Amino acid sequence: MAENPLFAPLTTPVVRPLRWIGLALAALIAAIGAGFGFAQHAPTQYVIFTTAGTFTLALWLWNGFFVRWIAESALLSRAAAERAGRQASARMALRGFASGNKGVLAGLGILILGFIVLSLTLTGFLTWLNLFTALFLAASLVFTTIASRAFGDNRSAFIGLMVLGTIFVVASLNVEGFLSGPNIKSMLVFAAFLGLATVGQTLVAVLGGLDLSIPFLIGSSNVGLLYLIGLGIPSPIAVILVLVAGVAIGFLNGLLSFPLQGQALIVTLGVGFATSGLTQILTSIGSSYAGNVYGQVPAWLSNLAAMNGVTFGIAIPPVIFIWIAVAIALIFGLKNTVYGRYLYALGGNRTSAQRIQISERRYWYGVFTISGFSSTLTGSLLLGWSGGGFIGVGDPYLFMTLAAVVIGGTSLLGGHGGYGFTVIGVLVLQVLTAFLVGIGLKFEWQQFIYGLLILPMVALYARSPHIRTQI
Amino acid sequence: MSSAVSTARGTSYNTFLLVPILLFFGLMTVAVLRSPSLVTSSGIGSAEIVVAPLILSTYALMATALAGRATVDLSIGPLIGFINVTMIQLHAAGIISSPIAVFAYSLFAGVVYQIVFGLIVIWVRVQPIIVSLSGYLALSGINLVILPRPGGAAPDWMSGWGSGTTIFSPSIIMVAVATLGWLIFSATPFYGHLRLMGSDERAAYTSGVRIGVVRIGAHVVCGLFAGLASLSFTGLISSGDPTQGTTYTLISVTALVLGGTSLAGGRATVFGSLLGALNLFLIGYVLSTFDFGAVQGFVTDLCYGLILVLSLLMTVALPYLQRWLRNVSPFIVFVVLGLLFTGVALHATYDYTALSPHAGAPPAPVADQAAGNQDDAAAPQRPPMNPEIFAPVLEQVQEGPDFARTLLSTRTSQLAVLLLAIVIALRLLVWQASQRRLTPLLYAAIGVGGVLGVWLLMNTTALVARLGHGH
Repeated sequence: MAENPLFAPLTTPVVRPLRWIGLALAALIAAIGAGFGFAQHAPTQYVIFTTAGTFTLALWLWNGFFVRWIAESALLSRAAAERAGRQASARMALRGFASGNKGVLAGLGILILGFIVLSLTLTGFLTWLNLFTALFLAASLVFTTIASRAFGDNRSAFIGLMVLGTIFVVASLNVEGFLSGPNIKSMLVFAAFLGLATVGQTLVAVLGGLDLSIPFLIGSSNVGLLYLIGLGIPSPIAVILVLVAGVAIGFLNGLLSFPLQGQALIVTLGVGFATSGLTQILTSIGSSYAGNVYGQVPAWLSNLAAMNGVTFGIAIPPVIFIWIAVAIALIFGLKNTVYGRYLYALGGNRTSAQRIQISERRYWYGVFTISGFSSTLTGSLLLGWSGGGFIGVGDPYLFMTLAAVVIGGTSLLGGHGGYGFTVIGVLVLQVLTAFLVGIGLKFEWQQFIYGLLILPMVALYARSPHIRTQI
Repeated sequence: MSSAVSTARGTSYNTFLLVPILLFFGLMTVAVLRSPSLVTSSGIGSAEIVVAPLILSTYALMATALAGRATVDLSIGPLIGFINVTMIQLHAAGIISSPIAVFAYSLFAGVVYQIVFGLIVIWVRVQPIIVSLSGYLALSGINLVILPRPGGAAPDWMSGWGSGTTIFSPSIIMVAVATLGWLIFSATPFYGHLRLMGSDERAAYTSGVRIGVVRIGAHVVCGLFAGLASLSFTGLISSGDPTQGTTYTLISVTALVLGGTSLAGGRATVFGSLLGALNLFLIGYVLSTFDFGAVQGFVTDLCYGLILVLSLLMTVALPYLQRWLRNVSPFIVFVVLGLLFTGVALHATYDYTALSPHAGAPPAPVADQAAGNQDDAAAPQRPPMNPEIFAPVLEQVQEGPDFARTLLSTRTSQLAVLLLAIVIALRLLVWQASQRRLTPLLYAAIGVGGVLGVWLLMNTTALVARLGHGH
């Protein structure tokens, strides 16, 4: 038997026939592709490239995942049989296969059962498109589960990407116009807002806390900025004032929640509530319309975030580029700078981080301050997008920021994850929202589905250890 | 020596109750001075039906907060709403209508939800806060699906619950039963296990406590309280409302924290939670007596947020407070402030003009309604009327301002208060006598002062009348 267990399965005699079958299948798929290509009179070079690509991909998928899956479980069951001192048998192998893949089999079972039930109850459900969608989902489920075993640290990122790809394919099959330019642009704009709002939440989560003041800060800055502009303050100065206020409130959050780290989320909730109340009181003084602010949004702010915004002549709103720049800076910074590494050190283990002279207090204040800044920035940009101040504009972000962090795979226990993961989470959420809206689901059903979605996602990567192991 | 140690421990454990007690009497004083109708029969009646769901949902949170792991069930509000809307819909469908069925249904629904919650926390080992967020989203979505807009009708036998004309409404009976139930529950060994698990789960596990069972037990208690809260909420609005229940999340978390419950687990008292909920109601009540115009709601938001943060910070300051205030018993503070407050309430609601002989003919409606009492005042020689002794103390008076006067001028209540004051004073003297400090003297002085105060209150009628005659 080979030394490396990862390569062992591919050399065992069990799988040799499987590999031949795979070769034949790959050749068949490539041949069909080539046939279609020539039938459509595509240029010969394209057809050759595509055929080679299809062949390689099919062979890789088959050998790398399907064969390995079968072989690994066969190997495991044989090892179990040897331990028990019995002869390996087909029945035992089957049992071993079933017990090693409970999750996948349960998922497949639910999928098939759901499909059968739906096609029996809903007339017109059993179409080729739906059948294909179900098959695609099943294949994606099996592939994701098997393939994710090969990943260690970045497993959640891989699963997130697979979920993103799956939803994207399913959505583009089922929703008309999903792949159109305007739709993708609008998805990206919303993803940029959510991504910017989630910057602070991700950093706070890496440190092991939660910030629930984000939605209130977004709403407050949205209303407050328009109010300041309405007072006649030049708009760039107004934006700076709002951002400074956000930094101050974020710092206050950190200051107040540092002594009570277990209850950081309740402290921030209280601060958020007070901020939103105070902002509304200040903006309503002398106005008969409480809670509403009317005014003219400056053109440069609208251009920054509105759907028809233009960046240096390109018809894409600058907010998308801002988000991309922030994301690259954060991903790079968390990975390669001392600050980023210290943040992970603190999130992973407070005591050992303090032993190497990392100031817990400073980092705690820092991440909450950044959170305050990013929330107010999002609020200001949202003003440019909507063109009117509204205190409730931040409300969806209460759970969206949290869900994006969690779905991406940043552990809420601290010390693991990062902004790259969050970007995946944001995109998954946004594509899912667009899909659910596209198939005509109402808001309350969307909310219900998000609620049910968060739990299994967290269960995938943020399970606490059993109490037994903590003694 | 041993008694001193035990006393010190006994008093310092409850020091955190000082804050809610002080706040309670402060708010009560302001409320009564600004709006004396609060302490009339109908004032108390309408206040208690509003405050009952809040008290019960705070109790529900208390049960799980005690279990540790920062189990703050943020989904309590949507859960109340969920039971409310499903109950209304089931009633509309004619499935449940009798009181037994409605009670059984709402308690059952609350318990089932909470058991599922607990099982997820135990088996999937996801942080409770994530489970509760997930439940918040899912339930608030599904509530809108079940009942898209407020409507429907509560069962007929429930329709009188929301009128709030009497003190002994079903809501207050539920609160009383819940409070009593919790007091009995806290005498069981199970409660001891629960507190042990909340303050140190590992210690509980290693000393053989079956932590899974205990956690489920805490959730069952929480579910029962949630069911009761939903019943009193339904009684309050007499219909179904998919969104209003959700607002209970933030205020009951605030009430919980205000009542001195530690969100880290292991420390909670029913008295504290009760006071916390009452304080929160009083804050809203006091604010509503001021006229803030259009920003009324925002001022309330601001105050709730500030009080949430401040009371959380109090838990940080608690160790320092305990060092300074070790010899102050919250119980005595409560009694002393209670007596002071009675004086204030009496002052606020006393009808001085009716007593003064210079006023000639007293203001008509009050004097006519309580003619017997006016006669007493005018002619101090005559003893109080006999029938008053047999009449129910509170139900007799329908008109507002002279409730307190009637309460204190009936002989039964005078005797009861006097007896209570003497018993408390004696009890405190005996309790403190073993310590060689000055505190017994202080307590003796307070006790004598209390007795003197009661005597004065008893004879106010006569005194005032005599002073009036003296002029």
